[in-house]
Amino acid sequence: MITEQFFNKWIWSFLLIIPICGLIFDEPYYITLATKVIILGIAGVGLNLALGYCGLISFGHAAFFGVGGYVTAIMSYHAINEEVLFHWPFDVFGSSEMLIIWPFAIFISSFFSLIIGLLSLRTSGVYFIMITLAFAQMLYFFSISWPNYGGEDGLSIYMRNSLPMLNTMNPLTFYLICLSWFLTSVYISYKLINSPFGMAFQAVKQNEERVKSVGIETFKVKLLVFVISGAITGLAGSLYTDLNRFVSPSVLDWQTSGEIMVFVILGGIARLYGPLVGAAFFIILEQTLGAYTDNWQFWLGLILILEILYARTGIMGLFDKKKQNEK
Amino acid sequence: MKNKILNIKNLSKSYGAFKVTDEIAIDLNFNEIHALIGPNGAGKSTLIKQIVGSVKHDIGSIILDQEDITDLTDIERAKIGISRTFQVSSIIPKFSALENIILSLLNKSNNTFQLFKSLKQNRELHLKAKKILRDIDLDSKSDEVASELSHGDRRKLEVGLALAMDPKVFLFDEPMAGLDEIGTKMMIDLFKKIKANSPILLIEHDMEAVFALADRVSVIVYGKIVATGTVKEIKSNKLVRDVYLGYEI
Repeated sequence: MITEQFFNKWIWSFLLIIPICGLIFDEPYYITLATKVIILGIAGVGLNLALGYCGLISFGHAAFFGVGGYVTAIMSYHAINEEVLFHWPFDVFGSSEMLIIWPFAIFISSFFSLIIGLLSLRTSGVYFIMITLAFAQMLYFFSISWPNYGGEDGLSIYMRNSLPMLNTMNPLTFYLICLSWFLTSVYISYKLINSPFGMAFQAVKQNEERVKSVGIETFKVKLLVFVISGAITGLAGSLYTDLNRFVSPSVLDWQTSGEIMVFVILGGIARLYGPLVGAAFFIILEQTLGAYTDNWQFWLGLILILEILYARTGIMGLFDKKKQNEK
Repeated sequence: MKNKILNIKNLSKSYGAFKVTDEIAIDLNFNEIHALIGPNGAGKSTLIKQIVGSVKHDIGSIILDQEDITDLTDIERAKIGISRTFQVSSIIPKFSALENIILSLLNKSNNTFQLFKSLKQNRELHLKAKKILRDIDLDSKSDEVASELSHGDRRKLEVGLALAMDPKVFLFDEPMAGLDEIGTKMMIDLFKKIKANSPILLIEHDMEAVFALADRVSVIVYGKIVATGTVKEIKSNKLVRDVYLGYEI
């Protein structure tokens, strides 16, 4: 019987084997593809905190993914062109150092998630879904109408941002950087869900009225989860821009929000490795079926329907020992 | 006044022309169990909801321990010491019985916003929770998932959640509904024990339990308090017999 724990070990084996295979067979493309999976997995880990563990069905996480991406591209663009980023209260220049860019991307994504959370968490259910979608779409259209940074055409940064003593242009190096961040985001999620705070936000998902009645300020709990979730997704956006050396308004589009949600649902809601498995499944479908037809999403839709009807716990849920014993 | 922990004055709530609670005046003394009885739809549960703040009142005031809490939110009221059970069991279904109690302990122990500390390693919270489970006779089921507990055990767990908050007053909404004889007796003994620390406003249809427990009884009919007194006084009140008890005791 394959358990979830055993499956997790398989995931880690794959994460280590893929780049080695890429090197042996001299196929850097597969390393880049695996890097993309990991970055999208990080975005999913962020959303999973809000959606999977706290029940906040955000349809606007593209906003944080895109903000993280744009912060990275804009800082890099100003560094390359040696232009001042902003003048007030003193001249601030851009940077092409990841160690500077990452905190900025995380901070600004967190700031946006705080503002969006403060307003949208006053609603719930379908209104929450709609209001988060509306915010993301506002940012999408703003990015299109912002000619300084490429508008609809997006913004290229030519060179990947740098880390001291590392060649980030090397696919394997960048893969390992992203893998470290994935591990960090999973570890943060793990620590959170096993903390007293984690107990509070998982309870909010199940019975918010009861949580209020024991004196826990559920609004603050949900807001903090939403901000942490936005920060992690923003970091993924930053890495995604570096991977592609390009950012465009499409990262802010509702379709991106939908795709991140699909990773979480496919892999298994409220499961630590679920989003990574979901993202991997998504990319494999895209690469295999996409070779035969442009409309490969038809099959994705069919798989989603079947999963929701017959296997709501997602791919990870198939390996849940408890569920297997119940059967 | 000094003897009163909870003092409700003139509390009213209407939905359109329908008055659910009509100028309710009721109080709760220290070391007391004050039972609120009345027919279904009389406004008992709405009154509880008004006291905890989940239903906004139209007029009136609520004083808790000499502090006016009328304008506080439901969470603020819970924080300063109002603890309740729900008429229909309200628990965290996927948590174990132990985890439910720990959740209820979080606020009082200022643990809610500890982001990275392991809950499993918080020995103090676990010990407190286990003691409460012993008090409500659920210690043998501490690891059972709450949604899989029997109805009676869920009622006990609800009381456990209220106990864990260590409040100034308890508002118990039909805590003995669905309990067997042993469960009811356990609850009666427990309530007698805890009222010394936190008095209880008790809504209950089990008259034997009410008469065994209550220091005072108020009768509510059509949103109005029609009588208040000791058990003996209520039993002998003709109006109460006519409108609610329906029999001579």
